[in-house]
Amino acid sequence: MFESGPVPGKRLVRIRVNGRWREDAVADDQLLVDYLRETAGLTGTKTGCDGGECGACTVLVDDEPVPSCLTLAVRCEGRSVETIEGLGAGGRLHRLQRAFHEKLGAQCGYCTPGMIMAAEGLLRRRPDPSEAEIREALAGNLCRCTGYVKIVESVRAAVEAGA
Amino acid sequence: MTAPLPLPRVRVIRPATVEAAIAARAECPQHEVLAGGTDLLVNLRRGLLAPTVLIDITGIAELEEIRTTGDRTRIGALVRLARLAEDPAIASRHAALHAAAASVAAPGHRRLGTVGGNLCLQTRCIYFNQSAWWRAANGACLKSGGEVCHVAPEGERCHAAFSGDLAPALIALDAEIEIAGPGGRRRVACADLYHEEGRAHLRLAADELVTAIEVPASAARSGYLKERIRRSFDFPLAGVAIACRTEGGRLNALRISVTGTNSRPLLIDGTAALLGRRVDESVLTAAEKLVAKQVRPMRTTLFPANHRRSIAAALTRRLLGALAAPAAAEVGAPPTEAP
Amino acid sequence: MTKLAGTRDGVPLIDGIDKVTGRARYTADLDHRGAFVGRILRSPCSHAQILRVDVERARRLPGVVAILTGEDCRVPYGVLPIAMNEYPLARGKVRYRGEPVAAVAAIDAETAARALSLIEFEVRELPAYYEADQARAADAVRIHDDKPGNLEREVHHTFGDVAAGFATADLVREEVIDCAEVNHAQIEPHAALAEFDPSTGRLTMQSVSQVTFYLHMMLARCLEMDESRIRVIKPFVGGGFGARVEVLNFELVTAMLARAAGGKVSMELSREETFITHRARPQTRIRVKLGLGRDGRLRACECEVVQRGGAYAGYGVITILYAGSLLHGLYDLPAVKYDGYRVYANLPPCGAMRGHGSVDTRHAFEVLLDRMARELGLDPFEVRRRNLLHAPTRTLNELAINSYGLAECLDRVEAASGWRTRRGRLPRGKGLGMACSHYVSGAAKPIHWTGEPHAVVNVKVDWDGSVTAFTGAADIGQGSSTMVAIAVAETLGLPIEQVRVIAADSATTPKDNGAYSSRITFMVGNAAIDAARRLRRLLTEAAARRLERDPADIDCADGRFRSLSAAGREISFGEAVKAALVDQGTLTVKGTFTCPPDAQGGKHRGGAVGSTMGFSYAAQVVEVSVDEDTGRISVDRVWVALDCGFAINPLAVRGQIEGAVWMGMGQALMEETRYLDGMPAHASFLEYRMPTSLDSPPIDAQIVESIDPNGPFGAKEASEGALASFAPALVAAIADAIGVDLDVLPATPDRVLDAVVARRRRERLDALAGGGR
Repeated sequence: MFESGPVPGKRLVRIRVNGRWREDAVADDQLLVDYLRETAGLTGTKTGCDGGECGACTVLVDDEPVPSCLTLAVRCEGRSVETIEGLGAGGRLHRLQRAFHEKLGAQCGYCTPGMIMAAEGLLRRRPDPSEAEIREALAGNLCRCTGYVKIVESVRAAVEAGA
Repeated sequence: MTAPLPLPRVRVIRPATVEAAIAARAECPQHEVLAGGTDLLVNLRRGLLAPTVLIDITGIAELEEIRTTGDRTRIGALVRLARLAEDPAIASRHAALHAAAASVAAPGHRRLGTVGGNLCLQTRCIYFNQSAWWRAANGACLKSGGEVCHVAPEGERCHAAFSGDLAPALIALDAEIEIAGPGGRRRVACADLYHEEGRAHLRLAADELVTAIEVPASAARSGYLKERIRRSFDFPLAGVAIACRTEGGRLNALRISVTGTNSRPLLIDGTAALLGRRVDESVLTAAEKLVAKQVRPMRTTLFPANHRRSIAAALTRRLLGALAAPAAAEVGAPPTEAP
Repeated sequence: MTKLAGTRDGVPLIDGIDKVTGRARYTADLDHRGAFVGRILRSPCSHAQILRVDVERARRLPGVVAILTGEDCRVPYGVLPIAMNEYPLARGKVRYRGEPVAAVAAIDAETAARALSLIEFEVRELPAYYEADQARAADAVRIHDDKPGNLEREVHHTFGDVAAGFATADLVREEVIDCAEVNHAQIEPHAALAEFDPSTGRLTMQSVSQVTFYLHMMLARCLEMDESRIRVIKPFVGGGFGARVEVLNFELVTAMLARAAGGKVSMELSREETFITHRARPQTRIRVKLGLGRDGRLRACECEVVQRGGAYAGYGVITILYAGSLLHGLYDLPAVKYDGYRVYANLPPCGAMRGHGSVDTRHAFEVLLDRMARELGLDPFEVRRRNLLHAPTRTLNELAINSYGLAECLDRVEAASGWRTRRGRLPRGKGLGMACSHYVSGAAKPIHWTGEPHAVVNVKVDWDGSVTAFTGAADIGQGSSTMVAIAVAETLGLPIEQVRVIAADSATTPKDNGAYSSRITFMVGNAAIDAARRLRRLLTEAAARRLERDPADIDCADGRFRSLSAAGREISFGEAVKAALVDQGTLTVKGTFTCPPDAQGGKHRGGAVGSTMGFSYAAQVVEVSVDEDTGRISVDRVWVALDCGFAINPLAVRGQIEGAVWMGMGQALMEETRYLDGMPAHASFLEYRMPTSLDSPPIDAQIVESIDPNGPFGAKEASEGALASFAPALVAAIADAIGVDLDVLPATPDRVLDAVVARRRRERLDALAGGGR
């Protein structure tokens, strides 16, 4: 029942990050956001608050957008985690990335990765959301620049651009 | 690692059964139970708790079930709030519970947060939910091991307020909580899970675990309304759940429960006096008065306590009026993503 | 202009792809390999004499590489040369809870945190003041020895004959309006990365700065280093809104730790610490009195402003001057008396925030004007129209008005909102309100007056045909680098993709005064155009030589240089570059912009503050629903029009307008800092509530183009002017909806409920009085 890994206080954890399996020695108390930023070197995922209050660290865990600062990395054993770096393929922008770029859904850009991942989670569940559904899906992601106007427009534009 | 406010050093264990979790609770002196983590991890980072072990119960498959049997719905403690909020059967059978689940925090919190976690939510206070620096600079309060409650310095108790959304709905719906302990399982009425004491608001032994809720089917209409400053990710100024039934236009069942105003979710006394009456202006006023008289908001929030009381009363009037209206739709559910 | 006129939707940001892909590196994302971790010990006391800061036990902790206290900080700093009264770490006294008193660099965060816990801090407490009137009390202890009455600065300005103005007015009214302190709350927490190389004595600093030049200057000052040994680089910055204009204590501390450690130090502040660092809009009480003729003409204005400035000077003098100076410039005012008081208190220092100094005063003025119009039976639009200015003109306090699109802004939002048909006809609980505002396009006189141009941009063109613009201007998300790219590309007749912009790295880019007072578009834009024109001249001459024509016969457009008289005689941009490089090699040209002295305000003390080359103007209409039982205000819709002179990038202009309106909405509806005996009780995104997507309305933003005679392509600022009119429009809309006049911001449910209760009490008394008759 008491699991323990080879490194004291750490254990080997297999996580599928942006489509590739990784195996890392992870401390029990490491948050997923710190694992992504520091262990995996994926600094696209941001930290904006002292825990669970801004949504900047939102990533997809098994297709579901969750704040990675409220998730222990060891809990992601065997699961699929996707970050902003995992969107788009072959150097091409994902439709949400293109829309946020072209419609100015990003001003300072700091909330943008979390915002896009929350939107991507929505579109996977609901391919043609209403404006109310978009606003609801992004209600845990704070933006200080846009008033959300162009963020909502960006998500709509991505929907219209199709998958 | 350079980010501020890391988690304290803890060991995580992940029992696979309820029995193993109970055993672990008994074995580890300084531990906390980890479910969704939306409350616990934030509190740990602020140094509000200092466990050496986290018992991660999310590996216990049994606790993730929703089972409907005849006259009751059994919902495992690990069922995510988002799942409740998206479940049409819950919406049609237990509207208050559905509305309450859909109103918790923000979508990400609802995906992580669990039924059990919401029921066992720590009480909150503006003097308590602060960083270690803050609490040290201000002088520890009763809840963080100090000698005095900064909210009511002359009193003996801690006034930290309970702010969970599910509990009032479950109390209104007359639900039971299943609790597992070393000696097996027991059930209590939801209201009996709580004390009016901010430091220890749960009537739960150190080796017990909330495992499920059981909600009786009922012909009553129910709903949940909460007011907060922001429409998302904000704790309630007050939340009110009501279940009521009318027959021939007259009330023959009424339960009202309020959150956000006391150290526990409050079951409002005295509603029986309203039974047999039509829900008219005088009944609405009487219900409003019952709530205003019984809730005890204190200065645990920056928002003035007197207005939390008046908002609780106003929500009561509004919700009861809506539920008693001939064609009551589900009341209080914010728009949610469809499943 | 043809090209700009042809791309009226605007262009995406040139660094937008980095942001949407996660490639953009903000300070916390930089290469931290080998960096020590910096942490700051903060004062638990509001006001105290420091008796002892004992770091010996902490110093002996293995893994601690540097430790500093106020004793190591010999030189004070501050954004204003006349008011530098702050040290990176407190010396002698602490003046607010959370003030830095010691700092540690260690091998990891855990060690740094342990080291902080080992520092012994002993003080003798002094009386502390959290409200301006307490601090101003006759017997209050001085927070700064040289400031009796804890008054940082008082301002008394009178222009015109105020008494005569009130005497001729048909209606004179006075209100006292309170506005809570707010915070910028940019989503990126503060962070800095400093590297000191002991072998060369050089310091490289990367930080979240809006003004790298100030940072550079203050690093040299506080570290007592030669400026030439310091390099300041701005990475991507996650918003500023004024928070990062002043140099901040943690930046200086990080650099000092790096030097003490002889290496690299990373400092990341928590959200709580980021809030404590503050420098935002102060709590303000405004007493405003207006005299109005029955014709709706303003006859006189009297305004007293008290700002609770916090514990240090910071920008305070400028803020209190702006609050009075920008009473002018929006309407035609014949007489104005202003009395401003900037007061010290034992709270985190306030500073500049979007709409610096003008927002709360404008709010009070507009609220009172609206109420007086109502009393006189005048439409709120009409009363504004009767007091319009006519450009070009100068205000009583010598502010130059060179372009003025307010009349068109009014027309646009009046029409878009359906004001004439809807106002007064909405059901109870719903209401419409409107208000106006303005803001400067860059302070015409910089704080650090050196005689240099206000902006310098270098443009380099090389053998490969690429054009690179170098600017010190800090892009913090507002899109300033994109603006520079457009200005250069447009002037050279190139597609924007052919222009690169390198920004805000002191080793490569020219000095710039930075991102504040909405100065970049106007000043840096003009400098960029100037540089590009000089380059165009050189290339035109080279093309003329190659084509054997007179330079006057050569036109530069669409990436080609063409003879105007001989069809077909033309060369490409690249060929022109190659021709120009003969004998010269790589070309670098410099463009500058300078505000002429006559634009720099009046000769009275403080007269430069508020002076600018061009004001933006805004009008907006806000529609609300009010729930009288719970006090909840819902903003259903906003219509706004902003005169930005000319929209160089309409996409970005709209984004800025929407952001400004929304930030005004946050302040008006729910944002406020709160202190419990000086402890910041708001220092999280849970307690400091900015609106979420569910609290935010659709915003209909319209652009008005008055074509400023001096602006780049006619442009003025676009990001601040629309902020200040939101709150008064909201308060007017609430009055329209439920007949309640709110005198406090923010309009949280408790304040609305208080006002509703007061109204009901008044109605009952009125009914009683009526019954007695």
